[in-house]
Amino acid sequence: MAVVTAAARVLGSSRGLGQDGLLLLRRLGVRGLAISHPQRQQQHFSSLDDKPQFPGASAEFIDKLEFIQPNVISGIPIYRVMDRQGQIINPSEDPNLPQEKVLKFYKSMTLLNTMDRILYESQRQGRISFYMTNYGEEGTHVGSAAALDNTDLVFGQYREAGVLMYRDYPLELFMAQCYGNVSDLGKGRQMPVHYGCKERHFVTISSPLATQIPQGEDALPGPAVGAAYAAKRANANRVVICYFGEGAASEGDAHAGFNFAATLECPIIFFCRNNGYAISTPTSEQYRGDGIAARGPGYGIMSIRVDGNDVFAVYNATKEARRRAVAENQPFLIEAMTYRIGHHSTSDDSSAYRSVDEVNYWDKQDHPISRLRHYLQSRGWWDDEQEKDWRKQSRKKVMEAFEQAERKPKPNFSLLFSDVYQEMPAQLRKQQESLARHLQTYGEHYPLDHFEK
Amino acid sequence: MGPPLQPNQCGSRLGAPPSLPAECGGVACKPGLRVGMAVAAAIACRLLRLHAAGAGGHWRRLRGAGLPRGFLQPASAGEDAAQWRRVAHFTFQPDPEPLEYGQTQKMNLFQAVTSALDNSLAKDPTAVIFGEDVAFGGVFRCTVGLRDKYGKDRVFNTPLCEQGIVGFGIGIAVTGATAIAEIQFADYIFPAFDQIVNEAAKYRYRSGDLFNCGSLTIRAPWGCVGHGAVYHSQSPEAFFAHCPGIKVVVPRSPFQAKGLLLSCIEDKNPCIFFEPKILYRAAVEQVPVEPYNIPLSQAEVIQEGSDVTLVAWGTQVHVIREVASMAQEKLGVSCEVIDLRTIIPWDVDTVCKSVIKTGRLLVSHEAPLTGGFASEISSTVQEECFLNLEAPISRVCGYDTPFPHVFEPFYIPDKWKCYDALRKMINY
Repeated sequence: MAVVTAAARVLGSSRGLGQDGLLLLRRLGVRGLAISHPQRQQQHFSSLDDKPQFPGASAEFIDKLEFIQPNVISGIPIYRVMDRQGQIINPSEDPNLPQEKVLKFYKSMTLLNTMDRILYESQRQGRISFYMTNYGEEGTHVGSAAALDNTDLVFGQYREAGVLMYRDYPLELFMAQCYGNVSDLGKGRQMPVHYGCKERHFVTISSPLATQIPQGEDALPGPAVGAAYAAKRANANRVVICYFGEGAASEGDAHAGFNFAATLECPIIFFCRNNGYAISTPTSEQYRGDGIAARGPGYGIMSIRVDGNDVFAVYNATKEARRRAVAENQPFLIEAMTYRIGHHSTSDDSSAYRSVDEVNYWDKQDHPISRLRHYLQSRGWWDDEQEKDWRKQSRKKVMEAFEQAERKPKPNFSLLFSDVYQEMPAQLRKQQESLARHLQTYGEHYPLDHFEK
Repeated sequence: MGPPLQPNQCGSRLGAPPSLPAECGGVACKPGLRVGMAVAAAIACRLLRLHAAGAGGHWRRLRGAGLPRGFLQPASAGEDAAQWRRVAHFTFQPDPEPLEYGQTQKMNLFQAVTSALDNSLAKDPTAVIFGEDVAFGGVFRCTVGLRDKYGKDRVFNTPLCEQGIVGFGIGIAVTGATAIAEIQFADYIFPAFDQIVNEAAKYRYRSGDLFNCGSLTIRAPWGCVGHGAVYHSQSPEAFFAHCPGIKVVVPRSPFQAKGLLLSCIEDKNPCIFFEPKILYRAAVEQVPVEPYNIPLSQAEVIQEGSDVTLVAWGTQVHVIREVASMAQEKLGVSCEVIDLRTIIPWDVDTVCKSVIKTGRLLVSHEAPLTGGFASEISSTVQEECFLNLEAPISRVCGYDTPFPHVFEPFYIPDKWKCYDALRKMINY
């Protein structure tokens, strides 16, 4: 806790305005002052005044040699609203959301779960090339998505489909992207689960996900911060949310994103899904500090750790972070602790690096969907009959969308060449023409039947 | 030692004493040292008398020419140790005053860049400029006065992190605002390589045109400067030429720089604009005050000829211009000189049309030979113009080494090497 308290002191002393000139100087640094007040003389420092004058830190002297102990044994506490049985612990923290809204949470999470099961199977059957499930993390998606405005810009990593689900992205389009068919808004350019939707302010997922590529290919914190800065300048009253896993947080881009967001005062929520694994790498091999939340104060960022399997905790934290990020133009860091119940992707078999018992614990004892269902049932808003019906209904919806998506052709092969630039350069047009000519002669060796003419 | 300076020619627009380029040679510069180097270099440069750029790129012995020898030389150097002073390997040739864009003003290259940025921020309320040290005016003075004029939310410093600068710029551009990012030296662009190649270049394509970062422009000082050595002299255009989705542009002069930079900023694709740092002060010409555009992906034939085609970009254009004069004078050979201007997507038609006419092609760049952009030009031209070629295509480039410090005069593809290659082509 020493780190946090020290950080809080730094933050506290430097955030206030109207401090004495000395503190202001320290905060801005000599150069900063020169920029903002070119005419102002540098304040004269008396050597009798035995306070530190360094521009780089706002702190007191100490004459005892003492290293700060990083507190990893008892780290930043985990905020939760419900216990594992879905019962509210502290009634004043219950967001008291209306039934309709909570049912929407539940239906989004379960529909996602159903879609995951069916699409995972379809990959196993060779119908789509690849898939990633969201098992166990549905609470992080839906709780946070529900706390945002619909126009808040979302930068995801690749395990946030529930955010789109909550924003009513149609099943047809989820499937279209996975199949890369003519209805895919992404024009068949990327692997499955690389969703994007301009209308719903969900920036297209980036990063190749083949397992041989170094983890944390995701390079999104930077762009998310830039988007937040632009939103601030435009007085848009919008927040940007950037999702990433605890593995991606090791990337240099994460460090860059945090530092820029803090120094440039951007209205952004950094939402870390700490699910215990980055493919096969457990958190003990990913970091030695107290997770991701403890890094926030190091950058001057307001930070919190929440129970990611508690949809209300996620909701409350995101809601408050959003309100303050926009009002105060500063970044927030939320570390949502959760567990990745499924394999990393269809290219992974996690029994190679973790026990089935461990997985079962989370699936049976601490699952966001179960916990919310218990909450709903205790309120009398849901029962077994409805559960049975909804399962049947959601499965039917998914299967219908799935069958339709499978029947549609892929886009015309010439779409291989468009959108590299806004306008197609002459050399590329020549290449496009050369492929067309090639197919006239050798077309039989290519799967042209599956592609739109 | 600094680049050739003509102090009476290059005052700052705001009338403040010219501050000197931050680069200095002799020490391997890690990024953290750069700022400290700026001060040291400024002092060192002020103490030296610098010669004007003359014709010819040779060393001149300077014995006690007003130099504080104690400052520069170690005590062991001995009384008779002469100092070799570098003179530029090129002569900047200004273009005639452009008449079609209204009133012009004498500007050097960094002032032309400032003018372009000023025009952009005036025209486009979403435009912002950011990077290391841009707030006070930039280490090459390209952003002097802009923060005072447009405000600290539009012209601001970022932390020292190139991957952050470009990533941040991409984000601004994704929302539709105009982002003008400065990388302090092209040599430091590599931490941002992933952002440029995997994110910026692919944004539009991978999203099926739902999203793009077309309003991003990245500017960086580029190319040799006389003493820049390994980390202040690089020309990395070839790394980016291999990346569909971005545009790479290199101007040869202040007039070209302003028009091309404005085109990059307005272009709907992410662009990298490399500014030849040796020309920041050395290149002076009349430049229109109002905004104007020079089209991208269009090479310029700056001199017509019939016997050999010479292609280059940036500083090297002035070298090959001189080579053309030498060829005419000494060999009676008429050269067609082409400034490529945009590296990708490049103007294949203009170059091929020229080679079909002349039958001979020489491409020259400072960047190392292997995998340099001359290879791409050479490859395409031999495909398109094979039967028209009278001689193998010649590439006169830097050697396949990192950019050296004291060996720079031997390393660069100077006019003698180009002349010699041309002579061999003629006699083939």
